[in-house]
Amino acid sequence: MSEAYAVQVDNVSKSFGGFQALNGVTLRVPRGEIYGLLGPNGAGKTTLIRHLVGLLKADGGTVSVLGQGMPNVAVLRNVGYMTQQAALYPALSVEENVQFFAAINGADEGVKDALERVRLSDRRKSVVATLSGGMRQRCSLACALVHRPQLLLLDEPTVGIDPQLRVQFWEDFRRMAEGGTTIIVSSHVMDEADRCQRLGLIQYGRLLEEGTPAEIRAKGGSQNLEEAFLTLAGRGES
Amino acid sequence: MSGHRVRAITRRLLQGFRRDRRTLALLFVAPLVILGLLGYLIRGSSTAPSVGIANEDSGQLGAIVAESLRHSSLISATDISAADGDAKLKDGSLAAYIVFPSDFSQQAQAGNVSPEVHLEGSQPGRSTPVVQALQLALSSVAAQASGRDIRFAPRITYLYGGANFDTLDYFGAAFIGLVVFFLVFVITIVAFLNERSQGTLERLMASPLRRGEIVLGYMLGFTVLALVQSAEVLAFALAILKVHNQGNVLVIFAMEALMALVAVNLGIFLSMFARSEFQAVQFIPLVVVPQVLLSGIIFPVSSEPKALQVLSDVLPLTYAVNGMRDIMVKGADLTWLSLELDVAVVAAFGAALIVAGTTTLRRTLG
Repeated sequence: MSEAYAVQVDNVSKSFGGFQALNGVTLRVPRGEIYGLLGPNGAGKTTLIRHLVGLLKADGGTVSVLGQGMPNVAVLRNVGYMTQQAALYPALSVEENVQFFAAINGADEGVKDALERVRLSDRRKSVVATLSGGMRQRCSLACALVHRPQLLLLDEPTVGIDPQLRVQFWEDFRRMAEGGTTIIVSSHVMDEADRCQRLGLIQYGRLLEEGTPAEIRAKGGSQNLEEAFLTLAGRGES
Repeated sequence: MSGHRVRAITRRLLQGFRRDRRTLALLFVAPLVILGLLGYLIRGSSTAPSVGIANEDSGQLGAIVAESLRHSSLISATDISAADGDAKLKDGSLAAYIVFPSDFSQQAQAGNVSPEVHLEGSQPGRSTPVVQALQLALSSVAAQASGRDIRFAPRITYLYGGANFDTLDYFGAAFIGLVVFFLVFVITIVAFLNERSQGTLERLMASPLRRGEIVLGYMLGFTVLALVQSAEVLAFALAILKVHNQGNVLVIFAMEALMALVAVNLGIFLSMFARSEFQAVQFIPLVVVPQVLLSGIIFPVSSEPKALQVLSDVLPLTYAVNGMRDIMVKGADLTWLSLELDVAVVAAFGAALIVAGTTTLRRTLG
């Protein structure tokens, strides 16, 4: 039964002009899992995530999210999406931004809770244009999770966030996952990768390897995840 | 001052333009289009107003002056009967008509002629040559015929406007609408483009929002802004500038709201075709300049060369401007067929643009 999986991607291909961005990607993410997408810049991580929210339509293969074939507008209500760039309205305050994204996702509550989660309650009246990069990133995260989605897609969520806060974020992610939220997170920070339950290595639009961090270490023949990753990526190169 | 560094800036600039074909095209094509249009308009327009002449003079003089008027380069004169005059002013086929009364020749003998000049009056620029032509014809012909000086005291009536009706009154009605149309269009196109470039549009598209909801939300927001702006502009024009107004302020306001609606949707629609604010700004001359030239604001559509009239007829602003003038200059209300038509056409443009904007707003990025 497909419902066991929050995300099911089957043999998805996508090209832009002559550039093959995704090349037969297949992956499954069970509900409540934290899944990490790893790969160098331009590997296809963002392209894959955009397929999951229906912003892109696959040339071949199928994408299904929370049991619904994508693109599907209705299912998006249960999906939270944090883009790579902190996509916010610079002229609005932190609170107004979060309220807006709550409203368009059909949630009227949760603004306070979301702001507390990203530790921005004391800055909620600040206009976004005046915030530092890391604070914007946190505000953007609050906008993605304010409607308590069942699936949270985070495209490099911790860029520009200090290590202390990053640790807190990951504790939060873990708690949300325990509560049943599925989280797919793209990153190239290896200590984050270590906190994921499973990892997928993407390179040249292909899913090169998949497994728990321990499995990836074993496959790459190194106790250091970064080294293991580089070894595996090097194999994909040849 | 380092020539090397200055050169680096200059080169970077030109390199960018080389890839931006659209900007290049605008830079080199748009001036020709705009100047060409202007030249064609000015050279090709029939500027001489149509004037009807009703000669009821029992003597000789009326016929002589009428003949002289027929050869005047200031006006294009045709014979009519005085009874048809007012109808022809109303339907716009005449800018004025002149009546020589039955005792016109006797008046001349007495040294004091007063022909009747009936002016349509809504365009001050078309009234002046009529009186001028008549005066010229009289001073040359009448003086010769009677051999003495004659005082010229025309009895002038106005269908619309009046003796104090000036160029601002004529342009004011059109510009009140234009200002709102133009500014709302610019704000919308830039705001919508911001939505795209700051990445929030991607987020909106990844939410349960429907395209129609986005377009409608934008429309309401900007229309509210536009209405406040309209009220301000209207109050300034009427109270401070004392622009001539015969119409109902609420009808003017409604017409402006309709124009704002068209402008918002035009902005949303065109923002789909711009990749950057830079490109969006280029739509402004392309959209606004031809409309200003061709919608009858400056050059009446009826005097344009035929080929351009076809273009004018498909521009929403032509109808909006015509409607605004009908209301403010002629005191039209919604029982006038001509105003109903203008309103219907502008509304239809608005509806078509809503559909076009919604359709071009793609949910998918590719």
